[in-house]
Amino acid sequence: MSLELTIAIIVTVVGASTPILIAALGELVVEKSGVLNLGVEGMMLVGAITGFVIVFATGNHYLAILLAAAAGVATSMIFGFLTLSLSANQTATGLALTIFGTGFSALAGQGYSARPVTLLGPLFPAELATHPLWRVLFGYSALVYFAFAMVFAVWWFLRRTRAGLILRAVGENDQSAHSIGYSVVGVRYAAVAFGGAMAGIAGACFPLLLTPQWAERMTAGRGWIAVALVVFASWKPFRLLAGAYLFGLVMTMELYAKASGGPLSAIPAELWAAMPYLATVVVLVLISIRRDASTNAPACLGRPFLPSN
Amino acid sequence: MQYRLEKRREPSRFMLYATPVAAVALTMVIGAIIFSAIGFNGIGAVREIFLTPLTNAYKWQDLGVKAAPLIIIGVGLSIAYRANVWNIGAEGQYIMGGLAATWVALASHGMGGWWTLPVMMIAGVLGGAAYAAIPALLKTRLNVNEILTSLMLTYASVQLIYYLVRAPWKDPMGMGFPQTRRFASEALLPNIIPGTIVHAGVPIAIIVALIAWFIMSRSVFGYQMRVVGAAPHAARYGGFSENKTIWLALLVSGGLAGFAGMLEVAGPFQRMVPGFPTNYGFTAIIVAFLGRLNPFGVIFAGIVMAITFVGGEVAQTTIGLSNSATGVFQAMMLFFLLAGDILVRYRIKRVVPQPEARA
Repeated sequence: MSLELTIAIIVTVVGASTPILIAALGELVVEKSGVLNLGVEGMMLVGAITGFVIVFATGNHYLAILLAAAAGVATSMIFGFLTLSLSANQTATGLALTIFGTGFSALAGQGYSARPVTLLGPLFPAELATHPLWRVLFGYSALVYFAFAMVFAVWWFLRRTRAGLILRAVGENDQSAHSIGYSVVGVRYAAVAFGGAMAGIAGACFPLLLTPQWAERMTAGRGWIAVALVVFASWKPFRLLAGAYLFGLVMTMELYAKASGGPLSAIPAELWAAMPYLATVVVLVLISIRRDASTNAPACLGRPFLPSN
Repeated sequence: MQYRLEKRREPSRFMLYATPVAAVALTMVIGAIIFSAIGFNGIGAVREIFLTPLTNAYKWQDLGVKAAPLIIIGVGLSIAYRANVWNIGAEGQYIMGGLAATWVALASHGMGGWWTLPVMMIAGVLGGAAYAAIPALLKTRLNVNEILTSLMLTYASVQLIYYLVRAPWKDPMGMGFPQTRRFASEALLPNIIPGTIVHAGVPIAIIVALIAWFIMSRSVFGYQMRVVGAAPHAARYGGFSENKTIWLALLVSGGLAGFAGMLEVAGPFQRMVPGFPTNYGFTAIIVAFLGRLNPFGVIFAGIVMAITFVGGEVAQTTIGLSNSATGVFQAMMLFFLLAGDILVRYRIKRVVPQPEARA
C-alpha cells in the first residue's frame, strides 16, 4: 500500500469519525448527569438542516456551525422540559425527539436537495500541509480539531473541575446531591443543553464536512451509533476517541477494499453499507462480555428525579 | 393564587384515557398555530391531514389499508413495552417478515396452491420473530441493551433488501428495475371488498388486536407481562422469570411485525421492492403509546395515525405541503401525550393561602 493511499485513508477515517465523536461526547456528559437522551439522531438532523440552510444562504461556515449548535440546544430543550420538568419517560421522549427531528428536518429541507454548497476548508494555511505526512496533522477543517479538543475539555471538566464533580454527583446519587443543596434539575438541564449543542454541531458536520449537500435522513443512524459508543467507552472520554476512530475505520473500509483489488473487493456494496451497524452490535456484545462495563454506568441513569422532602 | 402538583394515591384511569384524546386535539390546535407561524398554511394543513381523510368516503379504503399494519405491529409493541422490553426495531422485523414471505412466494412460483398464503404467513411470523430473537438472546445472555441492537439490525435489514432485489431475486423481465417478479395470484392476498383496495389484512388486524386483548387481560401470559413490567421485584418473588418474559416480549412483537410485513408484501406491494420499508415499524411505536399499550386503544391509535398518513398525502396534492409534515404532527402528538402523563400520576391543586391563626 502506497504512502499516498495510507494517508488518504487516515484523512477519510478522521473525517468520518468526527461527527460521531462530537455527538458521543455530548451524550456522555448528559448520561453522566443521570439522563438518557435517545434523541441524538433527531437533534443531529435538526443541526444538519440548520447548518446546511445557513451555509447555503450566507456562505459563512462558522455561523452555520454556531446556529446548528443553537438549533440543537432548542431541540434538546423539548426533551429537557418533558423529562426534567414533567418527569416523562426518558426512553419514550428520546424516541419521540428522534421522530420529531427526522420529520422537522425533512420538512425544513424540502426544496434544498441536490443544491450544492462548499465544504468547510482546512483550518491551517495550505503551505503547512504540502507534504502528505503533514496533511495527516494539519490538513483538516476546524471541526476535526474541535472534536479532538473537546475530548480533553470534557475529560478535564468531569475530572478536574468542581462543576464536573457536582454533575457526576447528580448522576450518581441525585437524592444526596439534592439534600446538600444542589439543583438536580438545573444541572441536568445544563447537561441536556450541552448534549443538544454537541449533537447540533455533529449534525452540521454532515453537510459541512462530509457531503456538501442536504439529503433527508443524511445522518443515517450515526446518532444511534454515538449512543452505543458511550456504552462502549464505559463513559470515559478517551475511550470514546478510540471508539470513534474505530468506527470511522469500519465506515471507510469499503474504499480500502475497493482500492486494494483483493478478495475483499468481491463483498457486495450493501454489506459494506450494513457494516457500521453490524459492527455496533458486535462491539456491544464484546463490551458486555467484559464485566466492568456496565458497573461503570452512572447509578441514576434514566431514572426520573423526584425530590423526597 | 398558586397551583401545585400533588401525587395521586393511584394513577387516574380517567386521565389515562383522556390524555391521548387531548393530545390529538392539542396537536391540531397548536400544530395549526405553529405551522402558520413558520409560514405554512397551518389551518389548511390540519384540515387536510386530520379531517379530509374522514370526510371523504373515497379515502376510507386507504385508511383501512394503512391502519392494518400499524395496528398489528402496534399490538405487538404494546405487549413488549408493557413488560418494559424496548423493542424499537419493529421496522427491521417487519422487513425480515416481508423477505421471508417473499422467499416462499418466489420459491413456489408456478407450483403454488391454496397452501401458499398460509405458508407465507408462517414464514413472515418466523422471519420477524427470528430477527427479534437476536436482541433477545443478547439481552438475556449478555445484558446487551435491546434498544440499540434492535435498531442497528433494522439498518442492516434495509441493506439486505437492496442486495436481494439488486442481485439474486431480481426480476429478469423487470427491465432493469431492482425488484422481484410480481407474485403469482395464489401468493397475493384476496380483496375482500370488490372495487376497492381493501385486502384480507384489514379484518385480520382487528382480529389480532382482539386476540391480543383477550390474552393480555385473561391469561397468565398477559399477567406475567404486566407484572414484570410494572413491578419487577414482585414478579421475581412471584416466580416469573425475567429472561423468559424478555424472550416472549421480543418473539411476540417481532413475530407480529413480521406478520405485518407478510401482509404488506402480499397485499399492497405484490412484490418486493426497495421502497418496502415505509416506516410502519417506527410509527407503530407512537401507535402503541397513543393506544396506552392496550390492544383496543391500539386500534383507535392505528386509525388516527392512518388518518395522518392518508391526510399527509392529501395535503401534498391539494396544498403542496411536504409529506414530511406528517412526521412532525405525529411527533407532536407523542410529545403532548408524554407531557400529559404527569396528569395521570399527579393532580393540580390550588393552594389557598391559609389565614393567620389567631392566638
